[in-house]
Amino acid sequence: MTQEMQFKAIVAQYCEIKPEDMKNEMRFREDLGFSSLDFMSFLGELEDTFEVELEEEEVLQVRTIAEALEMMEKLQQEA
Amino acid sequence: MRDYYPLTAAQKMHHNWIQDYKTQQVSGVSVVASLKAALDFGLLKKCIQLEFERYGCMRLQFTKPDKKGQVKQYVVEKENRDIPIKDLSGMSLSEADRLMQQWAYETFDGDDIPLCDVTMVKLPEGFNGFFIHMDHRLIDSCGLVVMINDLMQLYTHYRFGSEYPKDLADFEMVLERDLKKANNEKRFAKDKKFWDDQLDALGEPLYSDIQGTSVLEKARKRHGDPDLRAADIEMKDLFVKVKDYYLEPEPTKDLIAFCMNHQLSMTNLLLLGIRTYLSKVNDGQEDITIQNFISRRSTHDEWTSGGSRTIMFPCRTVIPAEMEFMAAAYEIQNVQNRIYMHSNYDPALIMEEMRKRYHIPEHTTYESCYLTYQPLPVKMDNPHLANIQQHSKWFANGAATKKMYLTVSHTEHGGMNFSYHYQTAHLQEHDMELLYYYMMRILFKGIAEPDMSIGDIMAQV
Repeated sequence: MTQEMQFKAIVAQYCEIKPEDMKNEMRFREDLGFSSLDFMSFLGELEDTFEVELEEEEVLQVRTIAEALEMMEKLQQEA
Repeated sequence: MRDYYPLTAAQKMHHNWIQDYKTQQVSGVSVVASLKAALDFGLLKKCIQLEFERYGCMRLQFTKPDKKGQVKQYVVEKENRDIPIKDLSGMSLSEADRLMQQWAYETFDGDDIPLCDVTMVKLPEGFNGFFIHMDHRLIDSCGLVVMINDLMQLYTHYRFGSEYPKDLADFEMVLERDLKKANNEKRFAKDKKFWDDQLDALGEPLYSDIQGTSVLEKARKRHGDPDLRAADIEMKDLFVKVKDYYLEPEPTKDLIAFCMNHQLSMTNLLLLGIRTYLSKVNDGQEDITIQNFISRRSTHDEWTSGGSRTIMFPCRTVIPAEMEFMAAAYEIQNVQNRIYMHSNYDPALIMEEMRKRYHIPEHTTYESCYLTYQPLPVKMDNPHLANIQQHSKWFANGAATKKMYLTVSHTEHGGMNFSYHYQTAHLQEHDMELLYYYMMRILFKGIAEPDMSIGDIMAQV
């Protein structure tokens, strides 16, 4: 499974959309129906799964799947 | 072989209250769910028994405390109990409610005993259904709503041939996952740092009371400490009364629209309403803390596994009078978002850290108000029941560990219900009237003029 699909499989635990139907421009709150609590708990799941340290200031700016994936890649490259 | 698990932070919260207040009554949760229809009680009984099999948390029990006072939890494999039926149809609806209120006051006393009772009820005016009485260590209100819906889906499947309800997540599997998360050292260190940093930055919190500054002054005199920043908790007279206020659909729509247009959550708007009132009646105090309950259910598994996942964290904000309403709302949202990120932490450890740092007397607190915003209505969401009138009601357990506990929920007809549970030892209905009145004045002034300062709003309402 690619990292993107692994990422989307986690997203799918929080919404009604299957990983294969997710588009990268989808917004967590408006399109996927995430509440603030969902989003924050999802970020915690990402940290544990991909072993990255998210910056709180930065993650609060993330709106879409694409932005989250980009942030993850950047963090993994830096690590 | 049966597995034994330690308690989660959410369960410990209720467990500690039972220990501190020396009665299980503080941990009771009760609800009645009924339909204005003739029910097949034989079938309903079968469905309730099946629900005990499907929803593992209903079979949860606790061991006797060990030498260190620690208890463990375990799930009993099978429950072979009868489900009684009580006929209250000869009473008026309010008489039946009064009787069920008495049932809600009953306690589950003992170790290694079932902590969940279900009674089928024939109610007045043609309503029929079931009354559930449980211990909060087993379930929270979201979990109960999921259970009621699952149970009625079972009923409509067997009665009308509708689709069999989808499988529920396994309670023990989700519990194991939660405990593993809580034991993740890296995560724990990050969460601890977040809460410690807040104290480093803001220092000791300052108590604020619904009744104004006199309460803290009284505590200062009682403890002979003019600089005390915490006030006493009522430990003996826990009796609680409930006062409900209904906000009509039209103004409710305005609040919802404001939240949507400004990407603000309703919880945060409500927190702003309460904290502004507290600031107003406490001489403009800027540093206010309110305990806010979070229902930690985000994934499908968390939603359908049952269990007690609701936990409270202090929402502390320092908002100066000159800050605009909108900026203050975002300030709260910012704080709350960070709290959500660190909500795996055990809130008892936050209090422990504060006691260690500030040496406050035993049984004192920094908070007088507790908020739960409950977006989920107790409604049987089932197409076969869509046109049938429903009657559902939560019953208070009658013993409050909190001075004032506000539950805000949405009603079937688009309004909002503000349910104030208040300890009668210190508060009267009039205090709740004032709180509701000013909360509404503050909120509606704020959403009408979001660029007005908090100080001006406090002065004008």
